[in-house]
Amino acid sequence: MRIQINQLTKTYKGDVHALKGIDLDVPTGMYGLLGSNGAGKTTLMRILAGLLRPTSGTVRLGGDDVTTKEGRLAVQRTLGYLPQDLGVYPDLTARQFLDYIALLKGLDERSVRRRRIGELLEVVALGEHADRRLKGYSGGMLRRVGIAQALLNDPRLLIVDEPTTGLDPEERIRFRTLLSHLAGERTVLLSTHIVEDVAQTCRHLAVLAKGRLVFQGDVGSLVARANRRVWTVVTSGAAPSTGRIVAALPHGSGMRYRVVAPVPPDPMAQPAEPTLEDGYLALMEAAVPA
Amino acid sequence: MIATLRYEFLMQIRRPIMWIVYGLAFAVLVAAMWPGYRTLDLGSGGGHDPKPAMLASAKLTMSLLAIVYGCLLADRLIRDRRLGVAAILDASPSNPGGRLVGKYLGVCGATAVPIALVFFGRAVVYTFTEGKAETLAWALAVFATVILPALIFLGALALAGPLLIPPLVFRVLFVAYWFWGNLIPADMMPTLSHTIFAATGDYVEYGLFDRARPDGVVYGWPDAALNFLRPAATPAVAVLWMGVMVALAAAILLLTRLHAARSES
Ligand SMILES: Nc1ncnc2c1ncn2[C@@H]1O[C@H](COP(=O)(O)OP(=O)(O)OP(=O)(O)O)[C@@H](O)[C@H]1O
Ligand SMILES: [Mg+2]
Repeated sequence: MRIQINQLTKTYKGDVHALKGIDLDVPTGMYGLLGSNGAGKTTLMRILAGLLRPTSGTVRLGGDDVTTKEGRLAVQRTLGYLPQDLGVYPDLTARQFLDYIALLKGLDERSVRRRRIGELLEVVALGEHADRRLKGYSGGMLRRVGIAQALLNDPRLLIVDEPTTGLDPEERIRFRTLLSHLAGERTVLLSTHIVEDVAQTCRHLAVLAKGRLVFQGDVGSLVARANRRVWTVVTSGAAPSTGRIVAALPHGSGMRYRVVAPVPPDPMAQPAEPTLEDGYLALMEAAVPA
Repeated sequence: MIATLRYEFLMQIRRPIMWIVYGLAFAVLVAAMWPGYRTLDLGSGGGHDPKPAMLASAKLTMSLLAIVYGCLLADRLIRDRRLGVAAILDASPSNPGGRLVGKYLGVCGATAVPIALVFFGRAVVYTFTEGKAETLAWALAVFATVILPALIFLGALALAGPLLIPPLVFRVLFVAYWFWGNLIPADMMPTLSHTIFAATGDYVEYGLFDRARPDGVVYGWPDAALNFLRPAATPAVAVLWMGVMVALAAAILLLTRLHAARSES
C-alpha cells in the first residue's frame, strides 16, 4: 500500500509544532523512519493510524484519505498498528486479548478467528504461553503479542512505532527479522531511533528532525552522505576537537577514535568506510548544527 | 459493542478485589443493620409482609453496596488510556460509541452481580423462613423498579466522573455524594435526598408500591429546601423517576462520547 503525504503539519495545544510540512511518498515494502527523541515520529504514525487529526495537509493511504471518516474506516480495516507505548489488559490471557482485538477488527466468525490467532501465536513463538495471563509476560513477549494483534486482520499496511526499544539484543534481532519477513507484499513502516535496526531491515528510509523531513531515499545514499567524512584517528594525546566522535577504543597506550567531520580532524587522520550511522550523523550535523 | 461487553464483563467479574470489597461491605451491612436486616422491618407494617420486606431489603442493601458499586467502577473507563490499550482499540475499525456502550453494559453488569446475589439471596432466605413463595415475585419487581434504575444512573456517573477528576478523589466525592444526596433526611440540610434526582427508589416505594411513611405522614418534608424537586409520590411520578435515571445515564454517556471525540484531535 502506498502512502502519500503532502504538506502535513501538526500543531499540538500549547503551540507545539510537532510536524512542520512533511512531504513523503512511501512505497510497498519495508520502510524506515529515523529520528531522534521528539522528532515527531509518533505524531506522524498516529496520524497515519487515524488516531490524530492533522492540523493541515493531506494523507492518502492506498487512495483513502485518513482525514475523512469513511477514509479512516477504510484504512483501519487494512491497518495493523503497534503503538510505541503498547499496553495490554493484564488480566486476560494472550489468546483472550487477541480474540478481543480480532472481534474489534471485524473477524466475526469464530472458527476463522481461532485459526488466525493460533497461526499468529506460532508466528510470534508464543504458542505455549498463549493461555497464561499477560501480567506475567516479559517486555519482549508483550511486544510479540503487540505484533500479533497488529497482524490479526492480515493488514496491507503495518505501522510499528519503536518496536525494539527496551528489548535485549537477541530479542531485538529476532523482532526485526520477523518484521522483514512480514514486509514483501505489504508496507511496513518502522519508526526507530536505532540506526542499526533500519540498516539491517530497510532499503528505503526517511529521516525526521524536529518536525521536518531532512532525508528521503535509499540506504545507500544516506550512507554516501558520510563519504570522505569519516576518519580514524589514533592518538595518545587529547581527543580530536573537531567533528563528532562516534567511537573510542583503547589502542595500545593511546586511543583509537572514529570521527565524523567534514575535514580531517587531525593531521594523522585516516579516511574510513562510512556506515549508515555515520551517514545519519553527518546528515544531522548538516541539518541541525550541534 | 458485544465484544467489548463480553470482555469488559469478564475482566470485571474476575477481579478478586471486587469480591473482597463486596464481601467486606456485606459483612459490615449485616453487622451494622442487624436488627433491621434480620427482620426486614423498617417500621411500616412489619417484616412479615413480603412487599415491604423486599423494599426494606433493597433499601438496606443499596445503602451500603451502592458505594462499593460506584467505587469499583471508577477506574474502568480511564483504564484503557492508562494501560496503553486505547491506541490499539482506537486504531481498530470499530465504532467508539458502540465500545463505550459495550463497556458500560459489561462492567456495570458485572459489578451489579454481587448486589443481585445479596438481594436475591436474602429474598430466597426470606421465602423459606416466612414460607411465602410470592416473595420472589416481589423481589423481582423491586429489583427491576428500585435497584436497577439506580444502578443504571450510578454506573454512568461512576464511569464518567474520573474523566474529570482522579479516581481516588472521585471515590471520596462519590461516598460523600451518596450520603449527602441520597441517605440523609431531606430536612437536615439542602440535599438531593428524596428528590426526583435521588438514586434511592423512594418514588417507586411510595408511589408505586404504596408504602406509607414510617411516621404516617404523606410523602414530603414540609420544611425542607429544594422541595420543588419533590413532587407528590404518585405512580406516574414513580415511572417518571425511572425515566429520569435512564435519561441521566444516557446524557452522561453522550457527554462522555463527545468529550472523547473532542480530545481526539
Ligand atoms: N499530546 C501532545 N501534546 C503536546 N505535545 C506533544 C504531544 N505529543 C507529542 N508532543 C510533542 O511533539 C513533539 C514530537 O513528539 P513525538 O512523540 O511525535 O516524537 P517522537 O519522534 O515519537 O519521539 P520519541 O522518539 O521520544 O518517541 C515533541 O516535542 C513532543 O513533546
Ligand atoms: Mg515516539
